[in-house]
Amino acid sequence: MGTTLNLIFIVLMVATALLAVFARDLLAAVIIFSVYSLIMALMWQRLQAPDLALTEAAVGAGVTTVLFVVAIFKTRRREEEEEE
Amino acid sequence: MKRIVALVSMMALLALLLYVVASMPTMGDAGNPTNASEITKYYLENAEEETFTVNVITGIILNYRGYDTSGEVTVIFCALAAVLAVLGREKRGKIYAFADRSRVPSSVIVRTMVAFLVPFIILFSIYTIMHGELSPGGGFQGGAIIGASMIIFTTIFGLFESSQRIPQKIRFPLEGSAFLTFFIVGVLGLLGGGNFLTFAWPNISANLQPAVALWLTIFLEIGIGLGGAMVFISILFSMIREEEDVTAAA
Repeated sequence: MGTTLNLIFIVLMVATALLAVFARDLLAAVIIFSVYSLIMALMWQRLQAPDLALTEAAVGAGVTTVLFVVAIFKTRRREEEEEE
Repeated sequence: MKRIVALVSMMALLALLLYVVASMPTMGDAGNPTNASEITKYYLENAEEETFTVNVITGIILNYRGYDTSGEVTVIFCALAAVLAVLGREKRGKIYAFADRSRVPSSVIVRTMVAFLVPFIILFSIYTIMHGELSPGGGFQGGAIIGASMIIFTTIFGLFESSQRIPQKIRFPLEGSAFLTFFIVGVLGLLGGGNFLTFAWPNISANLQPAVALWLTIFLEIGIGLGGAMVFISILFSMIREEEDVTAAA
């Protein structure tokens, strides 16, 4: 049970990390990144580090997400196509 | 060509990292360096009697490693200083508006839910700060939760409303409170006859020491929490502020 749950979390973390990198829509990337932080917080809890889990949930999923969203609204939402 | 080089180097890095992961110690193994070292044993056996905090992690962070933590809260303050150096500080006594680029007013459901939830989030953060010496959490976590709740409030109700809830007169002085409380506790330790950041003062009687150390810990937690929260809020305010949209002078 525990191993399966860990495996699910790890697969989800890798998937969300890749999605956040490859998302063209920066707002979507930020939201996916906050999901990554949330799974990370659950993972800290499973590793018996509740202090870190609290920090990760508050800072990673809460504060930085909103700061990134504000930064996106101040600049541009779409990533520009890179020139070859 | 460039892409092939990038791909090959990334593959090499991946192989290296996977190789290192395979040789990492097994989680929870009794022979791990984290479990077998003397300092872990010492902390687990003596932390509760020496730091007078039930939560060993808080005892280690604030008491044994007080210097480290005071450096860390200074780093957070430096982050705020860097943000202010780039974006500039708002003028004193002025309330700024939040220019919402989306031009879509937040719906009644969202406003009601946020107005309902924010007091509870703040209550939970106060619990996290005040209960830091007993349960997981502490000053920094609680401060981050206060910051997050005010950030939610600001994004829904606007900068004008939240600037009135947390006036500059309160916010500006409290930004540095995290390091200031560390400094005060440190100097109090000197006055109490110990070293800088000594919690159990040698000058007072031994049966008073636990209470003094506990209250110093709680004082530190409150200072770190308030300082962290105000730093987060100030960073947000200076990010979303629009210079030209000065709406009122307070």
